[in-house]
Amino acid sequence: MSAPPPIQIEEVSKRFGTHLALDRVSLTVPAGSVFGFLGPNGAGKTTTLRILTGLAAPTSGTARVLGHDVRTLRPADRAKLGFLPDVPGFYDWMTGAEFLRFAGRLFGLGGAELESRAGALLEMAGLARVRGRIGGYSRGMKQRLGVAQALINAPDLLFLDEPTSALDPIGRREVLEMIVSLRGRTTVFFSTHILADVERVSDHVAILDRGRVAASASVAELKRRTGVERLALTLDVAADRFVGALDGAAWITALEADSNRLRVTVNDRATAAREIPRLVAAAGIGLVALEPEEVTLEEVFVDLVGREVG
Amino acid sequence: MSGFAAFLAKERNEIFRTWRIWVIPGMLLFFGITSPLVALVAPKLIGSLAGSQPGVVIQLPDPTGLDGYAQFLKNLSQIVIIAVIIAGAGVVSSERSSGTAILVLTKPLSRAAFVGAKLISFLGLILVPTVVAAIVCVAVSRLVLPPEPVGGFVRAVAIWLAFAALLVSAMTFFSVVLPSRGAAAGAGLALLFVMLLVTIWPPAARYSFAALPGSVDAALTGRELHLGWPLFTAGLAFGGFVLAAIARFRRQEI
Repeated sequence: MSAPPPIQIEEVSKRFGTHLALDRVSLTVPAGSVFGFLGPNGAGKTTTLRILTGLAAPTSGTARVLGHDVRTLRPADRAKLGFLPDVPGFYDWMTGAEFLRFAGRLFGLGGAELESRAGALLEMAGLARVRGRIGGYSRGMKQRLGVAQALINAPDLLFLDEPTSALDPIGRREVLEMIVSLRGRTTVFFSTHILADVERVSDHVAILDRGRVAASASVAELKRRTGVERLALTLDVAADRFVGALDGAAWITALEADSNRLRVTVNDRATAAREIPRLVAAAGIGLVALEPEEVTLEEVFVDLVGREVG
Repeated sequence: MSGFAAFLAKERNEIFRTWRIWVIPGMLLFFGITSPLVALVAPKLIGSLAGSQPGVVIQLPDPTGLDGYAQFLKNLSQIVIIAVIIAGAGVVSSERSSGTAILVLTKPLSRAAFVGAKLISFLGLILVPTVVAAIVCVAVSRLVLPPEPVGGFVRAVAIWLAFAALLVSAMTFFSVVLPSRGAAAGAGLALLFVMLLVTIWPPAARYSFAALPGSVDAALTGRELHLGWPLFTAGLAFGGFVLAAIARFRRQEI
């Protein structure tokens, strides 16, 4: 019998009074994947994570982590989970090293093993030489400590809620590299509204919008499925002179002119590939190059959700 | 159990490394030292005040160790008990509002263990310093006042501790149920007020835990006490508050 998926959510809804925060959400997260949980602020990402970690109960539906129903998670079930909340709360009177040791002891770790793990994670978080209490840490330092404490038990399943939101570019890159390094041995489920982060590290993505899953697939599949594609034209004149010729073309969703280059986002590549050379020729302009360009996740997101993320 | 032991150790360390060590234990130690001294100087103060009024003559007996003990018990019942209510109002809710509860409750620490560790550490924070302060009070009394037997004082402190333990369990429950620290403190004060009020009704004064606060002075002066029922009902109420706190906390969303 095969192992259950690390995360399985079936028809989960969550209601706060009259507000429906999650509306029949269903998801399956493959083992060993880095799963990006994407959505604008207020889409329901944190609510989903709170349900998956047993901090809140679904109003209806079923959610399982590592095969266990989240409504009845026992301490032993949590021993295989790691969690970084969106704003991690620490005991300000502890040092970072003390907090990591405390977190390890909650998992039953001790002795040389705990010291070794805590030391390695402090090094990874760039906090090994920081001696002060957590109360004096910056938000970025707290975020890095939060990532470290989530890894102290070498979890099978790691939940990260907006792990890069408080980090500077270097810290952000380091956390993303850490996430990538876990691929294959730890299933990582991380929520974010930063599309570039998801695109950089995730192999699977779910897009949540207004409490509903708008799409869930591998990143490549999602790009393929939306049908959004882009063509880059290089002309022998300024691109602005050609833009007017494209007015009214139903297969164009966006245009971006820069010097003699024109990037055309289309929803019907076959028509575009046929029509663009014809329109260029009709305008008496020379076409130097016409190349396909990969669309970004942001374009997929806008196509699916119909508005900008953030 | 590893999670419980680690969390309880954290609670102990937190007492020693934050303001918590200074408030109730500091207050108790202060009263342990000063209560006999206040008993020593109070008759002289009152006498000198009365002497300044023409025609007023107040004759007070010389203070004894009993007066020092009585002053200490008065401080416990009037001031320390309010500090217990205020400190206990945030015993659980402060961990929720600061976000620390999220980090520990997503680790192998059950909610019952969380509440249990909070309760035990809070009880320790009251019981141990009270015993130490009572010993200090006896020692200082013996130094500055004519000695008196301590049997009544020990019984009185034990009754006060039973009452304080009941209040600790109640505050733990209120802190779980009411997310606002102010609301929990208000509930604790209301409970204290009701306990004092119901003793007007003789059966309540005889059989319920509400009899405990009033029995502290009686124990010191050696009056006959029937504390079987009050202690039994206090034990029941203590268990009820703890179980209710755990049951409620298990169902709460964090």
